[in-house]
Amino acid sequence: MGDINALVVFYSRYGTTEKLALAAGLGAIQADANIRLRRVADRADAATIDADANWKKNLDRMNRDYVVPRPADPVWADVIILATPEDISTEVESYVSSLSSLGSMNGKVAAPLAPGSRQSALKPIYSAAACCGLIVAPCGESSDDPIASATAFGQRVTEMARALKRGRESFT
Amino acid sequence: MLILRKAEERGKSDLGWLTSYHTFSFGGYTDPNHMGFRALRVLNDDRVAPGKGFGAHGHRDMEILSYVLEGKLAHKDSMGEEHVLGPNEVQAMSAGSGVIHSEFNGSDTEPTHFFQIWLIPESRGIKPSYQQFAYDPGEKRGTLRLIAGPDTNTDPPAAFIHQDARMYAAVLGDGETIHYPIPKGRHAWVQNAAGQIDVNGMTLKEGDGLAVSDETSLTLRGAGTAGGELLLFDLA
Repeated sequence: MGDINALVVFYSRYGTTEKLALAAGLGAIQADANIRLRRVADRADAATIDADANWKKNLDRMNRDYVVPRPADPVWADVIILATPEDISTEVESYVSSLSSLGSMNGKVAAPLAPGSRQSALKPIYSAAACCGLIVAPCGESSDDPIASATAFGQRVTEMARALKRGRESFT
Repeated sequence: MLILRKAEERGKSDLGWLTSYHTFSFGGYTDPNHMGFRALRVLNDDRVAPGKGFGAHGHRDMEILSYVLEGKLAHKDSMGEEHVLGPNEVQAMSAGSGVIHSEFNGSDTEPTHFFQIWLIPESRGIKPSYQQFAYDPGEKRGTLRLIAGPDTNTDPPAAFIHQDARMYAAVLGDGETIHYPIPKGRHAWVQNAAGQIDVNGMTLKEGDGLAVSDETSLTLRGAGTAGGELLLFDLA
């Protein structure tokens, strides 16, 4: 059992952001974290999803593999990795905005990432995370290998959460 | 010395879609007296409802074996492996530096019954890997069929694991007997997967396990009307 709990929350329609989230989760495991993987539910209605066969197919698959975030998850977590699609940030942003109602997020690490590190998708999430007391760890610029970058990011933010936790423990 | 771990004394999880009996501490079941035996850390007797399963989750530094008794198990992992496993097939995954995987009942109509086995690897951070192989059920009839061990390129094939441990399977009819010598200093765990077997004169019913230390040999005999199916772990 690792000493750091990493919650990986993502929103994905066709699987691209899911792959980034899994890569970041794998990085967290490599850095000795315990992980939980959660997919945020769609805000779109069923008719909209049904009209897009590829979305529907991927949704059916992802609904088997992931549950939606539970209230206890962010309380359990030391670091929350937040993966959002490059062109949609509403689902993850809404999730982050709901966190302060579940308990104190002060001092936990929020680690947002998006395909291509798209700033227009990330900025609302940075803002929502900072507003509820999370320490925001930006993912930096995108690289030629987004999967490898996401894995390295997952490792880096786990180490960051570990350093913060140890620092806090040394004061108590 | 033989120490019986009775089926009914195992930990139990019932999640509706999953009924799991834990020979050793696992998940929400913790008993400091049953944290494993030698390198054998987890021995779960799992029954998964049709279409249900274990969603995506992660592991590191564990040798994970799946032994299916009934039904199908659909596997998918972060190494890109995607397979369906049935009876008389073996899956071995070295989690090593880290894997994410899911395991689902591969059928929407039939339940799956399988043993999930974790062995502690001899070193940390090894490269993750996946192996799967099938064997003829006749190969475990009346004899110990090597399922997994530390030897590479065995004939017939067995899964390679990063630990000085061997797992065998055998199906024994009533009265059918196998002798297994235990080298000095080694230990064994016998798990009765189905039916009834006698081990050195001690009766094991379905789900019972037996810790074996300071013995020179095992006499494994099928008992009852139909005999039994057992898993034997030879451990350092």
